[in-house]
Amino acid sequence: MPEFNETGPEKKGVSRRSFLQFAGVAATATAVVSSARVAMAGNGWTIGLEGVPDERALWMYRTMLRSRWWEEEMKEAFLAGKDGLYGAFHISIGEEACSAGVMAALNEDDYIASNHRGHSHLIAKGGDLSKMSAELFFKDSGYNKGFGGSMHITDVSKGILGMNGIIGPQYLFAAGAAYSAKVRGTKQVAVAFGGDGSVNNGWYYSGLRNAALYKLPMIAVVENNGYQMSMPQQRTNNLINLHQFGAGLDIAHESVNGMDVMAVYAVAKRAVERARNESLPTLIEAKTYRYYDHSGLAGAKPGVMGAFGLPYRSDAEVRAWIAEDPIPKLRRQLVANSILTEEKADEIEAEVRKEVTESIEFARSSAAPDAQAGLQHVFAGSSVSPSQFIA
Amino acid sequence: MVNKPSNFAMLEALQHGMRNDPHMTMLYEYQRPVAAGPLGNVIDLYKEFGDLRIPDWGPIDEEWHVGGAAGIAMTGVRAIARVPSMCVTRCFELVFNQVGKLRHMTGGQVNMPLVIWQDAAGRNPGMAGQHADAGQEALYASIPGIKVVVPSNPYDAKGLLAAALQENDPVIIFHYPAIDGNPTDVPDDNYVVPIGEAAIRQEGTDLTIVGYGPAAVEIKRALPGLEEAGISAEVIDPRTVKPMPIDPIIESVRKTNRLLVVDHGHETLGSAAEIIARVAIAVPGAIFARSTIPYAPPPGAREIFARMTPVAPKVVEAAKHMVA
Repeated sequence: MPEFNETGPEKKGVSRRSFLQFAGVAATATAVVSSARVAMAGNGWTIGLEGVPDERALWMYRTMLRSRWWEEEMKEAFLAGKDGLYGAFHISIGEEACSAGVMAALNEDDYIASNHRGHSHLIAKGGDLSKMSAELFFKDSGYNKGFGGSMHITDVSKGILGMNGIIGPQYLFAAGAAYSAKVRGTKQVAVAFGGDGSVNNGWYYSGLRNAALYKLPMIAVVENNGYQMSMPQQRTNNLINLHQFGAGLDIAHESVNGMDVMAVYAVAKRAVERARNESLPTLIEAKTYRYYDHSGLAGAKPGVMGAFGLPYRSDAEVRAWIAEDPIPKLRRQLVANSILTEEKADEIEAEVRKEVTESIEFARSSAAPDAQAGLQHVFAGSSVSPSQFIA
Repeated sequence: MVNKPSNFAMLEALQHGMRNDPHMTMLYEYQRPVAAGPLGNVIDLYKEFGDLRIPDWGPIDEEWHVGGAAGIAMTGVRAIARVPSMCVTRCFELVFNQVGKLRHMTGGQVNMPLVIWQDAAGRNPGMAGQHADAGQEALYASIPGIKVVVPSNPYDAKGLLAAALQENDPVIIFHYPAIDGNPTDVPDDNYVVPIGEAAIRQEGTDLTIVGYGPAAVEIKRALPGLEEAGISAEVIDPRTVKPMPIDPIIESVRKTNRLLVVDHGHETLGSAAEIIARVAIAVPGAIFARSTIPYAPPPGAREIFARMTPVAPKVVEAAKHMVA
């Protein structure tokens, strides 16, 4: 496991080093440890491929690549500047295993409620890359018709109750969606995704506590990437291992190595079974890392993955986490188990890159929204009145 | 038809809705939805619809009731969040940044069949600021994407709630206990009072008096005093605060040239200010006045409290001043 920033901001309580060490231990402890394939240690694997159908493992590989390359190419477009892109852009690169691992355990009609860093959640839940690209370009063909931008992409038809620019409501929405599933008796599951900063918010407590009280099929996935914006996690909360919050609520809670998609999948699968079969909530903490800045492109360069030279973390820390990258890790697992050849892996990546490029071309060639459209969509089926002299 | 308490009338609307929609769900805190009618008949929605759709157990957590109900509504299931009077703004952030905005921010994708039933406060002496403040509907009405209705009698309470239960957009209904001071016959059958439709309570020629909710109750109480003073007042109850049915008010003021707005909320940036601004733009040269709660919280002591409320005698006084 990589080491934490030892030259960064003043430490309070537990050091980053012990935080990460615990992550490794916790992930190993909670994983369904199996024999031969896991024995290929040294690759950072905490779990093997036993019991995972080949096509599901391949889906996870392709899904992580789709998310990775979509965000990378979108980053390139932002940096190149020729498309004049503007607005919020929270990159989730580094955290793809959390999305793909959880979504691999869900059904199509299950719900997710996401946050500002939710591109990878949406892509893993079946989000259409072209409509996502077009939304970042604020085009009429975008998911939200240009009304939302990166932070608010939503696809209700796929159970995606939306990304959200405010921290915390996803826990209430997912608990509510789980409540709805229980009322309708559909056995659907609802998952809330949030960061380590979101646990410091009252709605987190409310969503989880009510999911516990009413025994709701809800899963909270806390992607602990070590920083609440630029604030180190251990300076925001007396808890370092955030899943322990679940103990106080008397709900199932697990920590997992969020850089290992198979480990995430194993934990998510247990949580989904618990939700679907027993109608009980689970709190999952995935220890992960975002390679870029909280928001925007500070420290990012064309053709280089990751943001460096940021004041609140060391470059060595970023590089150490990139060395744990979940995508090459899964590729090695798939090749070692003869599920993929190197050639086939390259082919998949080329297909993904083509899909991503086409999605950006689609966005580029789409029409801007009608400038008069702002009075629509306030209420269903009608426009609101213009104000005096305006609109 | 018989007079019914407003709470009973509203539960009738809810009962009708829940019988016709097998998934409709209500989250609430402590007001178990039970009420007795005038003939001794009892509505007990908890008994009828059970533990899940009406969970008669749960936390003091208005953000859950509204946020959880919003999550239910986003899945296409109609939800009601019932919020007690001292907490009507506890969920404000959720309404402001989520419930009101999600349809627009998502380009029209998110339906929000959500009704927030606000059990608004009585202006009761002895309770002081937090438990006796009113007029918060003006805060909510300032939020895009929210419809706000305030009935002034049990008939409208039932009909407006029934209308709200048909909407695919969030509706907040403020239920003030004061409206039971304005008893009306309430049909047993379900019916709808359309959102955005004002009621002209009395026709007149000297001035137009506008007020909704508890203010409308006081205006009704003022009618004998107005008549005694020889004032022919046209009385309009908008019933909906947003979208405000401003056209009949404008039409009335074109006739009377005088507008008095009575509001049980605070003066600054309250509903009275909004109504007067809209009419002033449409009817230049008209005369305007408002009678509202001053810009101070309601005090506990009866003696101070009594001086701060726009009760019927003050409505008469204001009307006399305007017509003189």
